Amino acid sequence: MLATQIDPTTGFLDRYSCLKVADDLVSRVRKAGQPLAALWIDLDRFKQINESYGYLSGDSVITFIAQRLRENVGSRAEIGRVGADEFVCLAPNFTRANAERMASELMHAIETPLDIGEIHLRPSASIGIAILESGDATFSFLERADRAKISAKNQGGNRYVVSGDELVSGRMGTLLAREELAVEYMLYNALETGGLRLNYQPTVGSDGSILSVEALMRCTVNGKVISPVKFIPVAEKTGLIVRLGEWSLLEGTRQARYLLDAGVRTKVAINVSRAQLLDSKFSQALHAALVCANVEPGLIELELTESLFMDNSKTVQNNLRSARDCGVSLSIDDFGTGYSCLANLKDIPACKLKLDRTFVLALPHDRRAMSVVKAMAHLGKDLGMTVVAEGVEKKEQLEMLWDLGVDGVQGYYCAMPMDAEALFSWLKGNR
Amino acid sequence: MTAGNKDILSARAEASHVAALLENAIRDIGIPSRPSILDRINAEMHKDNPDFHHLAHLITSDVGLAAGLISISNSPYFSFRGRARSTNEALMILGLDVSSRAIAGLILRKLFPETPGLNRFWDASAIIARLSGWLAQQGGSDINIRADDAYTFGLFRDCGIPILLNRFPHYPTVLKNANGEKELSFTAVEEAQCPTNHAVLGSMLAQSWWLPEEVCLAIRHHHDYALLQQDDSIVLPSVTLGLIATAQLAEHLLQHHTGLSMTQEWDKAGAVCLELLRIDEKDLQSVYKESAIVIDSAD
Repeated sequence: MLATQIDPTTGFLDRYSCLKVADDLVSRVRKAGQPLAALWIDLDRFKQINESYGYLSGDSVITFIAQRLRENVGSRAEIGRVGADEFVCLAPNFTRANAERMASELMHAIETPLDIGEIHLRPSASIGIAILESGDATFSFLERADRAKISAKNQGGNRYVVSGDELVSGRMGTLLAREELAVEYMLYNALETGGLRLNYQPTVGSDGSILSVEALMRCTVNGKVISPVKFIPVAEKTGLIVRLGEWSLLEGTRQARYLLDAGVRTKVAINVSRAQLLDSKFSQALHAALVCANVEPGLIELELTESLFMDNSKTVQNNLRSARDCGVSLSIDDFGTGYSCLANLKDIPACKLKLDRTFVLALPHDRRAMSVVKAMAHLGKDLGMTVVAEGVEKKEQLEMLWDLGVDGVQGYYCAMPMDAEALFSWLKGNR
Repeated sequence: MTAGNKDILSARAEASHVAALLENAIRDIGIPSRPSILDRINAEMHKDNPDFHHLAHLITSDVGLAAGLISISNSPYFSFRGRARSTNEALMILGLDVSSRAIAGLILRKLFPETPGLNRFWDASAIIARLSGWLAQQGGSDINIRADDAYTFGLFRDCGIPILLNRFPHYPTVLKNANGEKELSFTAVEEAQCPTNHAVLGSMLAQSWWLPEEVCLAIRHHHDYALLQQDDSIVLPSVTLGLIATAQLAEHLLQHHTGLSMTQEWDKAGAVCLELLRIDEKDLQSVYKESAIVIDSAD
């Protein structure tokens, strides 16, 4: 029999005794071949309770919460108080499903409003769950529960997380690689915590006018910038690209509206993916963005690759027709890469042709590249399109592109991608 | 049933009056990105040790918001004996998550002008939100949804409607048709007469205000009842399904208690919602009885 010490406030095992009991339970269930679950429970916002009402009141709250835990857990598990507002619940014979059910029940019990004297609270808790694994020592077992609890806390609290699921967060894509899961988790986090931003890169006409600004998505989670090179493929793989794309549509149209309100009439170009165009609700989303931003469709341009214009899907074609019919303009992005086909150009209802940066990179010295750019510029213009060259980084490239007959250029040499505020100043300065 | 409650439920029916009042008043406003005060509250909330006094100060800078928050925290849905007397106390009672979303709901409402018809629409949304939160607290279903998510969903579920009323002069007729439609989905009726529908619009707005993904998905699909009947092919997270079913039941309770039934939605989806929530006919009778206090406390 273990000599145990009891925490006077709650009547639970104190921290030291709890660790001893955990050690004992681990060896007992191992011998018996039974499962064991640990639930690490941490009250949310307890520090504020202590600071606002004093430590005595904090103790009263703890006493009430302890009572709720006791009533709910009964004889199913051992409970220890391992910190000021932290408890560990050790449940022998508990599988993951049992443990998750208990966590839900405990959260539900804890959530009941507390009304003690002048304290009126709606308490909540973050719970981390670990199920004993074959290689676990007692300490690593509890540490996993603690880490899962921290993850629950980091996700905003008032939830439980099972150890090992911290990155998955119960969503789709269980077969993805770990890094992709991490990126996916961060994307969800960005969607829910304001980690998405649009930067804008202008396209400048040969007369110095601003033809449009292209919206480029940026993602930052907990201060860490995630490159589009990393998050776009994951978003496409998981289907999240549709949600991100809708977010871009709304933010991009709003930007057009803000600029208009500020006296700057500029077209905003927004990138659209195949997954978005395959969504039967794309047209509704586009119109929802226009309605929400209250902006005229003529100020919005959708950028998509040539292959999408030629896509056989009826949904894609219906969505493109709907966009065009309402007055939104379409442009061909990255033209000249992949399986570009000049013959297709005559059938594409786009008003802008954007030549891929690879042609520009070879300028001004590569004569073959010069010939191709010149031919495409003339062909595009003959078909009634504005021809724009992407990726302009040097003065010599710019000068040659004007000579070759392009109508507009985009690239670091002319303007870097910039946030909405910087864009506004830049546009004002260029008027 | 009180006369006040009847008024609240008549919101959709009186949409045509609302539209006329709204059309000129807010034709030119856009719906903003997440308001900056929400960003500031969000930033404080995500600190390791949020400063409640600072938060209270931020909120109190808008007297209307502070009053709204205190009023919500004192609603019987949160079932306290004591009453919050200050923003700080309201924050403590509601918790930061609920506070942030309640403030989002208050701000959304403030974006539109005060008109009797629109006020009734928002009041109905507020009651559905409280009923949804209350239902989520009752538990019993296999789907464990958070009361504050249910509350948020109830607040934002139909937020696309006032925006469409503002933009499309014929939308009141569309709304009337959709409310009366027995076969087609509500959004199918909207789409036949408008270029978008309130569910897609509301979901995009909610997403741009950084609401939880499950809530945004629920807003987008809250009229796609076929998705509630999914079996092995998981299309939506179970929490999203639970939110949709809970709010649908909340709307039905509101209609049941006020004696008005302005939509066909419960006829289309009631059975599947009850099945999803594991509520049988006998349970439903208890729910009718127990929910009366939440309805009556709305005034």
